[in-house]
Amino acid sequence: MVADITPADLNNIRDKAAIVGVGETEFSWDSGRSEIQLASEAIKAACDDAGISPHEIDGIVRYGMDSNNETMLVQSLGIRNLRHWEAIAFGGGAGNATIAHAAGAITAGYCNYVVCFRAANLRSGVRLGQARGSERIPGGQRVFLAPWGALAPAHFFGMFARRYMHQYGATSRHFGWVAVTLRHHASRNPRALRRQPITIDDHQSSRMIAEPLRLLDFCQENDGAAAIVMTTPDRARHLRHGDTLALVEAAAQGSGPMNEGIVFRPDLAVAESAHTARDLWARAGLTAADMDAFMFYDHFTPFCLIGLEAYGFVPPGEAKDFVEGGDNIRFDGALPTNTHGGNHSEAYIHGLTHVQEAVRLIRGTSTSQPPAKEINRVLSCSSVAQLSAAVIVRRG
Amino acid sequence: MTQADTDMEKSRPMTAPLEGIPLPDVDALPDYERGFWEGTTAGELRIQRCSDCGVFRHPPMPMCPHCHSLGYDWAPTTGRGHVYSFLVVRTPVHPALREKEQTPYNICLIELEDQPQLRLISNVLHVPPEDIRVDMPVEVTFMPATDEPMVVLPLFVPSNR
Repeated sequence: MVADITPADLNNIRDKAAIVGVGETEFSWDSGRSEIQLASEAIKAACDDAGISPHEIDGIVRYGMDSNNETMLVQSLGIRNLRHWEAIAFGGGAGNATIAHAAGAITAGYCNYVVCFRAANLRSGVRLGQARGSERIPGGQRVFLAPWGALAPAHFFGMFARRYMHQYGATSRHFGWVAVTLRHHASRNPRALRRQPITIDDHQSSRMIAEPLRLLDFCQENDGAAAIVMTTPDRARHLRHGDTLALVEAAAQGSGPMNEGIVFRPDLAVAESAHTARDLWARAGLTAADMDAFMFYDHFTPFCLIGLEAYGFVPPGEAKDFVEGGDNIRFDGALPTNTHGGNHSEAYIHGLTHVQEAVRLIRGTSTSQPPAKEINRVLSCSSVAQLSAAVIVRRG
Repeated sequence: MTQADTDMEKSRPMTAPLEGIPLPDVDALPDYERGFWEGTTAGELRIQRCSDCGVFRHPPMPMCPHCHSLGYDWAPTTGRGHVYSFLVVRTPVHPALREKEQTPYNICLIELEDQPQLRLISNVLHVPPEDIRVDMPVEVTFMPATDEPMVVLPLFVPSNR
């Protein structure tokens, strides 16, 4: 009988790929330029950070939702020989998955320099949080959602939040402490869109959007792009950040993809990423206790609590106590969490900025670098999204 | 008035389906989705049930996820259940919801008593949103969402069992 879980000694991607470049455009409410331009700018910035030319890129792993396909990028960047390209389904869950797939491609030897990116005008263009149209739906799961007004991401993910509150006694205030802490981190980050600090009272008096979710439980809707360049460790040693490598130690994906039908999962208080976590820790031979920082996909604040439990930082139901007051998850606390400010306050680039922040923490260049703690390992993960993926980035 | 004061006041209950938002094109639906809507038109909450292993499933799909049979029928349910989870939409995300001032409205995930974890999305009528609770017992009712072509929606009301 072959075991269901791959053990640590078969984790073939371990330390076989390094993140050597991170770059982004400015984040804004109206970029004033096309998505192919945003992508090109962010990728060029990531190549500059790595110390390579875009001509050297020979692999692309993109979000399936991104409007920029490989053909456009080959032409825009002057890629000479694209050896590997793939698109990860859906949106936010793809963030960590692009890194996982790029590490696999590099380990397999399919390509030497891979770029992962997300570029979109998610504010001045089509907003994911808004719905329109009164057309007749010809089929699919929307038929069993939209007629009752379940039209936007908050309407699906809010359902998880309510059930979680019911099962574990969490309250809106607990979600508020996540918001306050992430905004504090953003207030220290010049890249961030929302830098004005907030209090727990600000959170509690913010407008109800999809109760129990308040305005300050939501991520931003903005324009912008982010990119990451990865290569082999031996190449990485000769690049700009060769002294401090950010290696992909392990990766996992699980229980995906599901889109709108996500509310039909059996247990809405337990993240599907519990499956991802089990595989991740087995492959890494590590546990949550080995992580020095936690980058979670914060489309909505409750998923900080759900993610902390799914990945085993705290037992089920205890995350509300862990986040109370915000001390534990602040950059100088026990578990520095989304030290860039996250989707909540820095910018919503569909989760890719979380991997960038993991790299900055490893390099020691975060704007909220933990003062009394060496950062050797960072978990970047999504707790509940269309696709649950996670990577461990370690200092090499 | 502060937000907390506003929150103390009870909002009006829903009394009818939402208007102006997407509805199914019943004639265009695949067979494995249409039976649900034929049931509501007949005043029954029919849920797709595997004709081989007898397990209900929703949303409907062409294959049974338990025994992988392609056979199914549309079995009437009791229409009784409880609220598994819910939310109250207070900020509209669709033009029709804004223009017709249809907020607040609730979206409930109803678990039917016919089978554990058998759930569907609906609205609960005649209850202020502040009084909706997880585990609240409910039963189905039917109302037409629009006349031409007619689509009948299953909706739920509190039951006193």
